[in-house]
Amino acid sequence: MSQKPGRALLARLALLCVVGLTMSVPFVWMVSVSLKTRVEAEAPTIVPADPTLHNYPIVLDIEPDPVTGRKLGLKFGRWYFNSLFVALTITFLQAVTSAMAAYAFSRMRWRGRDKVFLLYIATMMIPGVVMMIPNFQVMVSLGFLNTYHGLIVPAAFSAFGTFLLRQFMLSIPTSLDEAARMDGAGHWRVFWHVIVPLARPGLIALTIITFLGAYQSFFWPLIMLNQPQFYPMSVGLLALDTSYGRQAELMMAATVMNIAPLVIVFVVFQRYLVSGLQLGSVKG
Amino acid sequence: MQKAFVVWLALVVGLYVLAQASLDRPDEAGVVRMSWATDPNPARTVQAGLFGEMYPGLEVFVDPGLGGDQTKLIVQCATGVGPDIVDVYNQQQLWNLVQSGILLDITSHAERMGFAPRHTYPSVEDALKVEGRQYCFPANVWANCVIYNRAIFDDHGVPYPEAGWTYEQFVDTARRIRDTPSRSGDTHLAVAHWSPVWFVQDTLMGAGGRMFSEDGLRSALDEPAALATMRLYHRLMHVDRVLPTPAEAASLSSQGGWGSGGINWFSTGKAAMIFIGRWYIVQAKNYPGLADDLGAVRLPRVGERASQGMIGARSAAVNAQSPRAQEVLSFLQYLATPEYSGLIVDDGDALPPNPARARTGEDLANGVVGNPAFHQPFIDAVTHGRALDVSPYINGALVERWLRERIEQVENGLIGPDEAMRELAAEINARVRRNIEREPGLAAKAAG
Repeated sequence: MSQKPGRALLARLALLCVVGLTMSVPFVWMVSVSLKTRVEAEAPTIVPADPTLHNYPIVLDIEPDPVTGRKLGLKFGRWYFNSLFVALTITFLQAVTSAMAAYAFSRMRWRGRDKVFLLYIATMMIPGVVMMIPNFQVMVSLGFLNTYHGLIVPAAFSAFGTFLLRQFMLSIPTSLDEAARMDGAGHWRVFWHVIVPLARPGLIALTIITFLGAYQSFFWPLIMLNQPQFYPMSVGLLALDTSYGRQAELMMAATVMNIAPLVIVFVVFQRYLVSGLQLGSVKG
Repeated sequence: MQKAFVVWLALVVGLYVLAQASLDRPDEAGVVRMSWATDPNPARTVQAGLFGEMYPGLEVFVDPGLGGDQTKLIVQCATGVGPDIVDVYNQQQLWNLVQSGILLDITSHAERMGFAPRHTYPSVEDALKVEGRQYCFPANVWANCVIYNRAIFDDHGVPYPEAGWTYEQFVDTARRIRDTPSRSGDTHLAVAHWSPVWFVQDTLMGAGGRMFSEDGLRSALDEPAALATMRLYHRLMHVDRVLPTPAEAASLSSQGGWGSGGINWFSTGKAAMIFIGRWYIVQAKNYPGLADDLGAVRLPRVGERASQGMIGARSAAVNAQSPRAQEVLSFLQYLATPEYSGLIVDDGDALPPNPARARTGEDLANGVVGNPAFHQPFIDAVTHGRALDVSPYINGALVERWLRERIEQVENGLIGPDEAMRELAAEINARVRRNIEREPGLAAKAAG
């Protein structure tokens, strides 16, 4: 009898290992190609025959391309900075605006509140592509073309973030803010000193999800920008995939460096991310 | 938590100040800057740089897109802030952009400024015009040939292909590459098959076929030449087995992506032949020693017909909404100059738009491939090529997508070649009829 759970556990572990290994193949392949020479990059092998780290300094414009003898002239450092700056700013603004909106939708009573909320989250059902031209038109009217503002402002507000935090705030007992109000606290003090600290897990989950999305954003920056000094990394990498061919080994080296912040964020905060994804199912 | 927010706010403000302070703000006084929607490859910088030297006071910078993908262009043009110069990659795109009102009719300007169609190859003329009006001028001109790796042919003891060869001789050559053991012990693919749609369209041209009837009202893909084309494609892949099937191709490629696998097989010496344009040699530079082994020959003949394939151009057009349209015309004028064509010759990016720089293979010999015999077939192919015909009654991109889907069905044995082409033609005809019924402008055109 005692062996059955053991076998079942082993089978589950084996299955998980297979699934885990399968999912890690693209990542391993990416690292592997980044260590290959150009001639070997297309070979369907995982272990490089002649591993090299030279692709990294070539992408960073420290060394010239060994084949052409020319530096690539990529603004890799600038693009890295732009990606981090834009993603951090969007994440900060979205956390602040979503938390405030969620507070208004969960802790304040006002006429038509639930109807407005319904309208608000209904915007999540509109495909992003449909909103592309109107959003772009607004940005053009504001003079935000080729600016950081054009990347940041449209992403600073999120129906999803508001929904996520509202669900979380609804699970915080109302007796806490009632007690604060009896002590003379206004809405700002209740929000800042009571609700925000208690909404920490939800805020962290939103922060991670938003950062991951903003850091990887591609199409919006592509249409908003035409000056390389504003590019995030996602757009800058296009320079390695042109009608003159794809330099896979360089692109993979750049991608490895590009995703490093994402890996760090995910590894450090993964427990919050998992708990955050379960927030919506706790209480409505 | 509150402290974290305050620290984060300080960090964001600090980064914002740093970002703004470190921006380049070039002194643009007296300089007209124009954006060029194209792909951000390094050659564009050189081409834009020469334009700046030849036209003081004018400057072009690259506005990168996604190759042939037009989404960015459409979004920007729909809001009136599109790029000044628009790259047009093929005939279908040209029609779509003209019908959308994005491109400026440059006919009279071109005549006055020296970039009318007669300033490039006669065979390209159709690729620059819509309904008799000129909308663009070539940045380069291409036609496909067969580029082969002489080292692989020598390794298998197979003679090089010769001008005037037929598809039967092509099959024989490919089989010998596939079946004859090499001296080195390496095995090779006969063909690096990378663009099935181009392959079929080239063969259709070679068979004397068309995409549409002369008036554009009916698909010609159910006519004998088109049926024969798809039968030949099916035979090469599934009977003669000289083109890799999709499954074989997938097992050979580690990269995926459109076309990249096939081109890389050839570049890394895994395949003996590739159907491609002269622009390939830009990539060949990246593979040491490869360029010395390259040979080229025109596309095989279909039956007794002369060799013929599709001809095309990556052309530059003027955004009709551009406030700098007059200056953009200077850029098109620049494309017609011998100086610009010189850059294309040196770079190897297809053929130069100015035919005076490509009269013989000698003219095209460059630092990448010095052998004039390599370049001559591309000049011949452009001279005798034909632009793909399009219909004003249906979106060309849709037709190409449907063609690609039918080709994939044939490749995977889901449908026979005749059935695929007849179904495709019927689908196109149904859509043409529907478009004419729904759009009064098209109905008037069809009636007239």
